[in-house]
Amino acid sequence: MIITVTRFFLFFVVIFLAACERQPAAYHEQLLVFGTVVDVQLWGVEPKQGQQAVARLAEDFDYMHNTWHAWHPGPLGRVNELLATGQPFSAPPSILPLIERGTELSRRSGGLFNPAIGKLIALWGFASDDPPKGPPPSDAAIRAIVDQHPSMTDIRRDGIQIQAQNPALKLDFGAFAKGYAVDRAIEVLRELGINNAVVNAGGDLRAIGRHGERPWRVGIRHPREAGILASVEVQGDESVFTSGDYERYFDWQGKRYDHIIDPRTGYPAQGLSSVTVFSQLADLADAAATALFVAGPEEKNWLPVARAMGISGAILVDDTGNIQITPGIRERLYFEPRGDSQLPPEVQLSAPL
Amino acid sequence: MMGFKLSRGDGLVWLLAATLLAGLYTAFWQADGHGAEAVVLVNGKRWARLDLFHNQDLEVPGPLGHSHIQVRDGQARFVDSPCPNKLCVHTGWLSQGGEVAICLPNKVSLQILASDPRFDAINF
Repeated sequence: MIITVTRFFLFFVVIFLAACERQPAAYHEQLLVFGTVVDVQLWGVEPKQGQQAVARLAEDFDYMHNTWHAWHPGPLGRVNELLATGQPFSAPPSILPLIERGTELSRRSGGLFNPAIGKLIALWGFASDDPPKGPPPSDAAIRAIVDQHPSMTDIRRDGIQIQAQNPALKLDFGAFAKGYAVDRAIEVLRELGINNAVVNAGGDLRAIGRHGERPWRVGIRHPREAGILASVEVQGDESVFTSGDYERYFDWQGKRYDHIIDPRTGYPAQGLSSVTVFSQLADLADAAATALFVAGPEEKNWLPVARAMGISGAILVDDTGNIQITPGIRERLYFEPRGDSQLPPEVQLSAPL
Repeated sequence: MMGFKLSRGDGLVWLLAATLLAGLYTAFWQADGHGAEAVVLVNGKRWARLDLFHNQDLEVPGPLGHSHIQVRDGQARFVDSPCPNKLCVHTGWLSQGGEVAICLPNKVSLQILASDPRFDAINF
């Protein structure tokens, strides 16, 4: 009888222990690179493999940061000096792909995402490690640049030779370099055989694969209040990027001036507090978040841009707190209970993308 | 199960074992997403691991000065930090696993830990 009971007991112990077995679990590391915090999570890797992969990413991010920096001395700084001469010159191979991709994304955005407005960004004081303190630049100084319409199409390219045909053109890849870098990081991880990962560069991320048995879960922070607005489960391979007026700004005489400059007016874009974009590629999501922010809160303005850029979804929060969402994303969002209110906030569904 | 008969004592043992197992499962495996611990990193390196139910105030040294982190009743936040925009302070209270607040200029980050975090990543 004792043997029977023991067998019976052992049977259950084995079953429970089997259920408790942990998978080769997650690897998690935070890097202070690229002027931000890059949070890397990997699933299903041995710690040593994770460590090596993240060390490789850290090196790459450092390289990209130094190469593409808009105001620190480096390759992009030299390219801008040479562009200013108006003469043809050989572009460094580290910069050429960004010029090409930036031109393509700018064209698709109808020029609302415009990496050629480096002069405007510098004029506003945002090309600096410290946020500007104001006052805003003079209307005449802004107009002097805007009236020359600097655009990526002003760069003439012949092989690796490039030449600027507009003296107002200055490259600043700030609005999509982070996305581009995240895409490169995901590529590297895949080359290393890692197919389940999240690379989160200062709140902008791309996720591939899964977190073991479940999808990766992303919380989207509320642009105006503390805490999480909504969460979403990432599907397979997806980027989530947000542009917000709270990231870089200065207040001057009771008015807020944020860092997202409308290339059409030369002034900070008005009307929205944040734009969150979903798409597979991170560089597209990054550029589109800026383009939609510039397009403004009217659906008739932002929706055509979203369609032209080919994003998969968007959440727009205007500066009075109204929320617009594209239908495909609304179905996937879970609104986190906030404070006293257990009800999801009222949201407005846009026409489908 | 011939001759197999549970005495009252056996039954009690089984009951206790089952209760213990259920308790252990809840304590260690159930994913309510709520974190009980947080980690403070300075320059990407672990500076402290905090019990969120041990109320305390910490002065975390970074390159610009001290970031003041507060722990109260299962939540943690930045109270102050020597940075220009105070994004870390505006992030407010954190309690859900995976939630994170970062003071980039002072290279200090605060993240809630959980065995199965509510969020793997925060977008902002």
